[in-house]
Amino acid sequence: MTSTTHAEAQHGTGHGDMPRRRGYLMRPGWVRAAWVTPAAFFIGMYIVVTLRWLAGWDPVYDWEIIILIAGMVTAPIGFLLGLGAFDYWLYWVSGRATLVDDHASHGAYRWTDYFKVNTDHKVIGIQYLVTTFFFFIVGGFLAMLFRAELAQPGMQFFDTQTFNGLVSAHATLMIFVFIIPAFAGLANFAVPLMLGAPDMAFPRLNALSFWMLPVAGTLFLASFLAPGGAFATGWTSYAPLASEQPFGQVFFNMGVQWAGASSIATALNFLVTIITMRAPGMTFWRMPLLVWANFTTSLLVVIATPFIAGSQFFVMFDRVMHTSFFTPDNGGYVLGYQHIFWFYSHPAVYIMVLPGFGIISEIISVFSRKPIFGYRLMAVSLIGILVLAFSVWAHHMFVAGMADWLRIPMMITTLLIAVPTGIKVFSWLATLWEGKLHLTTPMLFALGFISTFVIGGLSGIYLAAVPIDIHASDTYFIVAHIHYVLFGGSVFTIFAGLYYWFPKMTGRMFNERLGKLHFWLTFVAFNATFFPMHWVGLDGMPRRVADYAGTYGAINMVISIFSFVLGASVVVFVYNMITSWARGPIAGSNPWKAMTIEWQVSSPPPVFNFDEIPQVVGSPYEYGVPGAKHVVLKGGTLQETHA
Amino acid sequence: MLGIALVAAVITTAVAVLIQWLPSSASEEMDRITFTYWFATIICIAIFSLVIGVIVYSVLAFRVQPDDDTDGPPIHGNTRLEVIWTVVPAILVIAIGIVSAVVLEKNADAGANPLRVKVFAQQFAWRFEYPGNVRSDELVLPLHRHVKFEMTSVDVIHSFWIPQMGQKQDVVPGIETEIVVTPTRTGTFTLICTELCGLGHATMRAPVRVLQEAAFSTWLSKERAAGGGAAGGAAGAGSTGGAPAGGATGGSTTATGGAEEALGSKTFASAGCGACHEFKKAGTDAQVGPSLDDLTAAAQKAGESVPDYVRESIEDPNKVVVAGYQPGVMPQNFKESLSSEEIDALVAYVGGEEAK
Repeated sequence: MTSTTHAEAQHGTGHGDMPRRRGYLMRPGWVRAAWVTPAAFFIGMYIVVTLRWLAGWDPVYDWEIIILIAGMVTAPIGFLLGLGAFDYWLYWVSGRATLVDDHASHGAYRWTDYFKVNTDHKVIGIQYLVTTFFFFIVGGFLAMLFRAELAQPGMQFFDTQTFNGLVSAHATLMIFVFIIPAFAGLANFAVPLMLGAPDMAFPRLNALSFWMLPVAGTLFLASFLAPGGAFATGWTSYAPLASEQPFGQVFFNMGVQWAGASSIATALNFLVTIITMRAPGMTFWRMPLLVWANFTTSLLVVIATPFIAGSQFFVMFDRVMHTSFFTPDNGGYVLGYQHIFWFYSHPAVYIMVLPGFGIISEIISVFSRKPIFGYRLMAVSLIGILVLAFSVWAHHMFVAGMADWLRIPMMITTLLIAVPTGIKVFSWLATLWEGKLHLTTPMLFALGFISTFVIGGLSGIYLAAVPIDIHASDTYFIVAHIHYVLFGGSVFTIFAGLYYWFPKMTGRMFNERLGKLHFWLTFVAFNATFFPMHWVGLDGMPRRVADYAGTYGAINMVISIFSFVLGASVVVFVYNMITSWARGPIAGSNPWKAMTIEWQVSSPPPVFNFDEIPQVVGSPYEYGVPGAKHVVLKGGTLQETHA
Repeated sequence: MLGIALVAAVITTAVAVLIQWLPSSASEEMDRITFTYWFATIICIAIFSLVIGVIVYSVLAFRVQPDDDTDGPPIHGNTRLEVIWTVVPAILVIAIGIVSAVVLEKNADAGANPLRVKVFAQQFAWRFEYPGNVRSDELVLPLHRHVKFEMTSVDVIHSFWIPQMGQKQDVVPGIETEIVVTPTRTGTFTLICTELCGLGHATMRAPVRVLQEAAFSTWLSKERAAGGGAAGGAAGAGSTGGAPAGGATGGSTTATGGAEEALGSKTFASAGCGACHEFKKAGTDAQVGPSLDDLTAAAQKAGESVPDYVRESIEDPNKVVVAGYQPGVMPQNFKESLSSEEIDALVAYVGGEEAK
């Protein structure tokens, strides 16, 4: 994690040319953040207080509004300002001297560099992954708390508001500050390397995107401190319930804004990087499927995310400003919320799974030692999913009371998504066929992913068929389905990707035996936790209930016990990651003998990735083709002899 | 490979058949849902078995030897195969789509002369209204007759589901939603709210009873007669309320008190008070809101008499909120949704002797 050679020199000169040295309190970093954040809070607070005083509103000190404006808007901006996320732009805007080639905040030379506003895509990738896994563990802990409550019928540990808060915060943390940004982290690390680019197109924007994420996560968690408890309307936060809930709800409304802004900025960055920064010879049809996957995902993010931002602002306005976007009195339209929300949140499911498809394509091909089967159709099917993803949102609303005629068309488009998804699954299977299978930890997670994701996909067919959905909607069947898709799907691929690129990120090898133990514990406990939920739901247990009929007592106990095993499996993973990062065996540049570009440079890669821009000469998956090359690095550590 | 796929198919089929996945049907609509379910299941078993067969076979047959460093054969694709696994799944899902569309159409058909039942949902109770202004907090349905529910919510979104009858429909404030159910067996069931609606969501349930057509008619006419009597106020129509009031003038004051007690008890049940409040007199023990068993201390704290405190809490629940509970949870529309007779009776019933 702290290597590199010539970049050290560049680092030094960059620093020397800084416009001027600043005092301890004024230098970007945590010390400055520690005083700018409260200062920004007070500025926000007195803007609110002054305006209320001028308007003659009572009370002048309305703490809900003060916390909303000062705590959730100005203080986070102060935090980012203090850390230094805006320094370069502010210098530029104010006409002071800036240095185009200033690499002062680029690369990690000591561990503290991971706690700074860093512009190196590899550092940012690791920052993303560590942060998101922190929220993964917190979110999982919340899940174990409410599984303890659900182990028996009746109420044992929590009141219903707390229970609803735990359920809502679990889903929100997992979706907005774990799965979506964890993929952004993996892609941040891998995509520029795979493209043969020295970094992302906008490194400073990249740093800002990352630092908005802890703000979002902190807001979600801080809601537990709000009077009346955390937001308690599920991660879907349906109006009008959400506009009349205790104050904790606003933490959700605003947390989503920060997470959403982070994801939009990252997606724009990926799009520009992928379109403009491909190495010479890297045509679209030579891009690794991970890059294709992040290209389509980024398009989804950029198009869809503003919708959830809007929906959350409107719900909040209904509460704070007494508008009536989604309340039935004064002409509001209750179902409007669901339409806008799902217009983001269905594509969001693909935002949470397409990058995983990309990861699996890389891993299956490398560990089968075969070219990916039907490369072009694999890429085209991603585009197919992208297009269809925007035409299926109302399948979440089959029982919502929306216009009846919408149900059949939405069912057909939903069912048709099975076609491109099926193409991907069958192509992975065909890639395995007659291959030379190396059952390493990432490969096990990839194979585990295919088996569980197929179950999630098939239960999706049941939910697409309107009559079955009418019965299964809002029950534990949905809980089972979403976890087969987002855990059996997304989380398995995140684990697969993390194990796969771990040697590249750290330069060290993880413990393979612990990795396999982690896989088997996760695979068994996952299925034992979530598969029975299909039955529980179909038989009549609704979701999001703190208490349930006694007949489901035994099976819920079994589910809870396995959910604790699932929680415990994460301990194995964390232990393996930490000890291997600290003192695992040195991995070498290409332990998997993969062909994509990131494996052709040292582990971890040099700060600026490549000494010279690489030349791409062929497909990234030509395993078994004698003499085939994907890339030629000139002057790098692994110089090639022929083109 | 085929062998493994067959084994997977046999195991999956056993899991599908031996476990009873769907509750045993109690409506024509659920029969059709069950049919759709099996139609999809057969297709899904085939696809699942194929995928698992290939994975397991590949792991067994193509696992590399420890010293084997070679690559696999460079197969880049196969156009015929790729066309097959694009077209066949497309045909299968379209088939599921057609079956679903037909079933959906049939399940929405209420016939020429359905029984129309109005459903009112609110945090956290269900109320039903039958033709002729008969109100009930128990859902009683006739066997083999199409019942069309016309539903609306007075506060947030709820959802109407009787698991054995399959059909589900959100109940939305501001619009009226509909659903058709045709019961096929007698018995008792439970109506469950399936859309998260706040603190008392898990307790928002109502009893459902399916009766033979004749027994249903008897029940309905009995309720209708009773509805014109003691619970006249419950119908909410001022004119029907006149009859019992007239009748009571001839009786003693204790008779009026008895009728009021009955109305209070009935209102307590129909307005759903027991879904959130503990109240020994009514036999409820919910813990969502404060207990109603001894209100003297709370009323004193608010500086009011117990009946005034109770009335204020029903009509304007956010004015005084007991420490440890939140404002905005209790419905704020009782002043509009209940008649003044009902509120008087409820105050007397909950506020105790001093009410008069």
